[in-house]
Amino acid sequence: MTDTHVAAPAPTAAAPPPEEPRNTALARAALLLLRGRTLVVLVVLIIIFSSISSEYLTQSNLILMTKHVAINAILAIGVTFVILTGGIDLSVGSIAGLASMVAGGLLFKGLNFPGGTVFFSVAVVILIGIVVGALVGAVNGLLITRFKVAPFIATLGMLYVARGAAQLHSNGGTYPDLAGTEARGNTGFGFIGVDSLLGIPVAVWIMVVVAAAAIVVTTKTPFGKHIFAVGGNERAAVLSGIRVNRVKIAVYVISGACAALAGLLLTSELGAAYPDTATTYELNAIAAAVLGGTALAGGRGTIIGTVMGAFVIGFLSDGLVLVGVSTFWQSVVKGAVIIFAVITEQAQQRLQSSLNRRTA
Amino acid sequence: MSEIVEAHNISKNYGGVRALKDVTFTAYRGQVNVLVGENGAGKSTLMKILSGSEQPTSGEIRLDGEAVQLDSPRTAQALGIGIIHQELSLFPNMTIAENLFAGRELRKGGRFVDAGGQRQRARDVLKRLGQDKLDPDTLVGDLPIGQQQLVEIGRALLEDVRVLIMDEPTSALSNHEVDVLFEVMADLRKQDVTVIYISHKLDEFRRIGDWVTVFRDGSLVAHESMSKTDTGWIVRQMVGRDPDSLYVRNSSPVGDVLLDVRGLSVPGTVKVDDVSLTVRAGEVVGIYGLMGAGRTELVETLMGMRQASSGQVSVRGVEEPKGTVRARMAAGLALVPEDRQRDGLVQTMSVRENILLSTLARMTRSGLLNAGAEQRTAKDKVGELAIKIPGLGALVTALSGGNQQKVVLARALLTEPVVLLLDEPTRGIDVGAKSQIAGLMADLAAQGFGVLFISSELAEVMAMADRVLVMARGRITAEFTAENVTEEALVTASASESVLEAQS
Amino acid sequence: MKFVPSRRALLAVGAASVLALSACGGGDDEASSSGGGESAPAASKLVVIITPSPDNVFFKAEQDAAAAQAKGLGYETLVLSHDDDPTKQSQQFDTAISRKAAAIILDNAGADASVTAIQRAKDANIPTFLIDREINKTGVAVAQIVSNNAQGAGLGGQEFAKLMGNKGEYAELTGKPTDTNAGVRSKGYHGILDQYPDLKMVAQQSANWDQAEALQKTQTILQAHPNIKGIIAGNDTMALGAYAAVQAAKKDIIVVGFDGSPDVVSSIQKKAIKATVLQPASKIAQMAVDQADAYIKAGGKTDQAEKQSIDCVLVNADNAATVKDFAVAGS
Repeated sequence: MTDTHVAAPAPTAAAPPPEEPRNTALARAALLLLRGRTLVVLVVLIIIFSSISSEYLTQSNLILMTKHVAINAILAIGVTFVILTGGIDLSVGSIAGLASMVAGGLLFKGLNFPGGTVFFSVAVVILIGIVVGALVGAVNGLLITRFKVAPFIATLGMLYVARGAAQLHSNGGTYPDLAGTEARGNTGFGFIGVDSLLGIPVAVWIMVVVAAAAIVVTTKTPFGKHIFAVGGNERAAVLSGIRVNRVKIAVYVISGACAALAGLLLTSELGAAYPDTATTYELNAIAAAVLGGTALAGGRGTIIGTVMGAFVIGFLSDGLVLVGVSTFWQSVVKGAVIIFAVITEQAQQRLQSSLNRRTA
Repeated sequence: MSEIVEAHNISKNYGGVRALKDVTFTAYRGQVNVLVGENGAGKSTLMKILSGSEQPTSGEIRLDGEAVQLDSPRTAQALGIGIIHQELSLFPNMTIAENLFAGRELRKGGRFVDAGGQRQRARDVLKRLGQDKLDPDTLVGDLPIGQQQLVEIGRALLEDVRVLIMDEPTSALSNHEVDVLFEVMADLRKQDVTVIYISHKLDEFRRIGDWVTVFRDGSLVAHESMSKTDTGWIVRQMVGRDPDSLYVRNSSPVGDVLLDVRGLSVPGTVKVDDVSLTVRAGEVVGIYGLMGAGRTELVETLMGMRQASSGQVSVRGVEEPKGTVRARMAAGLALVPEDRQRDGLVQTMSVRENILLSTLARMTRSGLLNAGAEQRTAKDKVGELAIKIPGLGALVTALSGGNQQKVVLARALLTEPVVLLLDEPTRGIDVGAKSQIAGLMADLAAQGFGVLFISSELAEVMAMADRVLVMARGRITAEFTAENVTEEALVTASASESVLEAQS
Repeated sequence: MKFVPSRRALLAVGAASVLALSACGGGDDEASSSGGGESAPAASKLVVIITPSPDNVFFKAEQDAAAAQAKGLGYETLVLSHDDDPTKQSQQFDTAISRKAAAIILDNAGADASVTAIQRAKDANIPTFLIDREINKTGVAVAQIVSNNAQGAGLGGQEFAKLMGNKGEYAELTGKPTDTNAGVRSKGYHGILDQYPDLKMVAQQSANWDQAEALQKTQTILQAHPNIKGIIAGNDTMALGAYAAVQAAKKDIIVVGFDGSPDVVSSIQKKAIKATVLQPASKIAQMAVDQADAYIKAGGKTDQAEKQSIDCVLVNADNAATVKDFAVAGS
């Protein structure tokens, strides 16, 4: 850099006043653009698709796409908690499938006791489904903290175990009808996946509530800061008196519960539970988190970024279907966007550190 | 005596910051040329330029009287200039021979690695380094840090090096290892190799250096034959003031026993063996010893990061049996660790978040963090410890080493400890910051804290501690008061093998 | 490592309750690998049955029918599922070869990718009888017994056109693009539908045979094309997904599937989905086992042609009540 003699007083008093080079302002603008890249990409997508199809930017389509986003967003929020601690959760798709089958089984044929069959109300069934997800997450967390299994391996194993459990649950079959009956007092499962409140699908409301809660937890509570600290430097977190193992178990429980909730929404919408529900959804969830700027190394990321990432993936997929692009190209485009996002993340980090150096 | 490296009127700008201001530096052939200066004084920048990894903004470099362009590390190497960095760049999973030839493997038949040839030449190099007993097939990761350092030097020697630049090579070495290194340097000097040696350790480089060059604020402020200088003169040149004020001795009255350790043992490769000690209120206690003597393991166990196999730890007269970090923290202990980057800081977080990390639970209002309380608490501590920061929200990695150390200290103090454990609190920070940390420790003692600190520097431990404990092989081998401590006694006690023999 | 007892107990409770909840619904039928042959090294009495995942009731019916028929003829069975993964299928062939199976009944994982595995079995003197899907080579398998997908799709296409009144906009959901049957069925539909100039296909998407994907894609297609009158799907699970989307949109849209699965058959009885094409899965599986038995008994000879094609049957409101286990009464 040779153009150093532009007169501009530096703000800091400690260091000798560095003269701000002309291109620093440009770099700052670029950095701002890179930080908001998920939003930029989303806006670009909307502009492109709405110029191709007049149906894209209609109220009903936006609502529908947001509903499709909701499931991946909830999965991705859970996964973000895990990634922030420097872990990974590959089992969320399978957990969604397992929760779906557990809930489906309870609604379709109840719980068999030696003395007879018991049916639970929809609210209880949903609660049981989420608890199952949380328990599987707790097992993940214990494997990782107590038995020192690497998160990738522990959750990869759980990916198979939970999927197998889902298949065993019905011996591979589908629970085709989850409407319930008045007599059994278990009608209304469609509420979370099919119905709307104030013109907005209930699933979207649930996503909003989950996202808001996650934002508060990650930014406004000691637990949230502990998550970032564990991901940023685990040893320093230990020395600071943070109960690192508890934090880790908690994030896998949260991830499992979110996965189960997503599985239940999908099942409710479909009105049927089948063991392959949400197969490979973990990849979409991780992609959304990464797209949203969550660093896989841990310690860096935001819930809002993840939600934006889920919107990009969802709005992109639906847009491609809407304008009639073939499945093959959908796959190619989705992959390219994810890679592009990671490259821009790298660029952002580089630009950030070079700006830090200039102003240090 | 002839000049081998001459750097004329070198300036270097980073963006708008001038890291080097018109520096003219000379290194003499076959001599040890020492460079000293506080962090950020420009030593490392000049060395980067001499080793080809940075280009000067202006100025000229001459090697043996001829102007040269050092536009890459490779060019510098070809001209016989090698550099050994502070952080080792070895592959712990490969053998000594493989490390020596990494990236420039000897070939056999053009394609295959000539392992036998490499081994033979590795043996030659190790011999030259006085390490004939070392097997070239040993994994580098299995070597102690001092020998790893020698392997790194071996890499440079393979290249037929004429000028060897060493950037703080002793910061991780024990005294014995430093002795070995200095012998090697003396041998190299005899072989007409020129050494440019950067160091912070005054007592060390005075033993080996022929010339000393002092940097301050990007300028070369003094250049003198070592024999014509003394420690006081060098420190004055470095900080621009008198060294008597460097270390502040604690003089506060001693009160009750705050920390009482009885028979503490910890198993492991570096063990702690039946250690008992006390720290009283108002007292600064130093632990001196070599690397691997068990000092870090001792304080980590006190803090609950390691589990003791036997022994009791009492704080303020109350035994703390649980031995978890939280329990020890609640009892009143706090640790400022040796390796800030590894154990102290969360690099992805801001200054404020790092300061508050241990005490977040106190900053809440109905479960949610209270931003106002956070800001106030962090700001108070920053003022109290005079931490220089661009802002509370800035990333902690943007601070200098001394200020990062103060951030870790601030976090420890917020837990309201009664005894502070400090592991090498002045390691890797410059003289000015060292003096500040020493002042803070004295202040804390005056406020009634007990302070237990670890140091590997004789001068520092002798100047700062009211009482010095010496550790060797996991045991406490000697105890001195400030009045009766001598350098010789410390060195003898730290090298004590007798305890080991008595054990086994 | 040290364990705090309470945590350990928690882990046990956690694991146990998950398993308990998973197990609470299962156990009606025997698990999919009904391997009675574990202890029998005897060469000639083991029939290995390899199919895609029994998640899909169609393949489950296939497995069950083949296994029942083989047991009835006095064979031991080993039932495996390759999950549409040719590599896994190849490993399962190795298992069959090493256990010296008498015959292999296979619903294969890929028309080209399966050939070498079948050849390997043949080289080891183990005959393979293909069901449901063909491979792109003859002379390797002893028999390739498939339902006539082209004929079936023709039936489905005709019924769909009739239901549509030979005019209007429609969408098509196709199966996994790499699957031969996905292409054959789509071609069969279009062989009929393209003859009607007033029938207009406005969208065609693959939903990879998956129910949830069919749901979401149908929802999006309905957004783009609100005037759609009908949806024709390449299999029944996609038809079910499409119908869930139609229901959610509160529209009256004709949905037609393919396979004849019990869920769709009962949906037809409820006048929801309009029609499906039943593949005689059980019948084909039984035929394959019978032919394998004859082949073994004849010492490695068969009088049947290699390629055999079994006609499909249309299921609509008229005959839905008579369908059971992929078979229409009287067909």
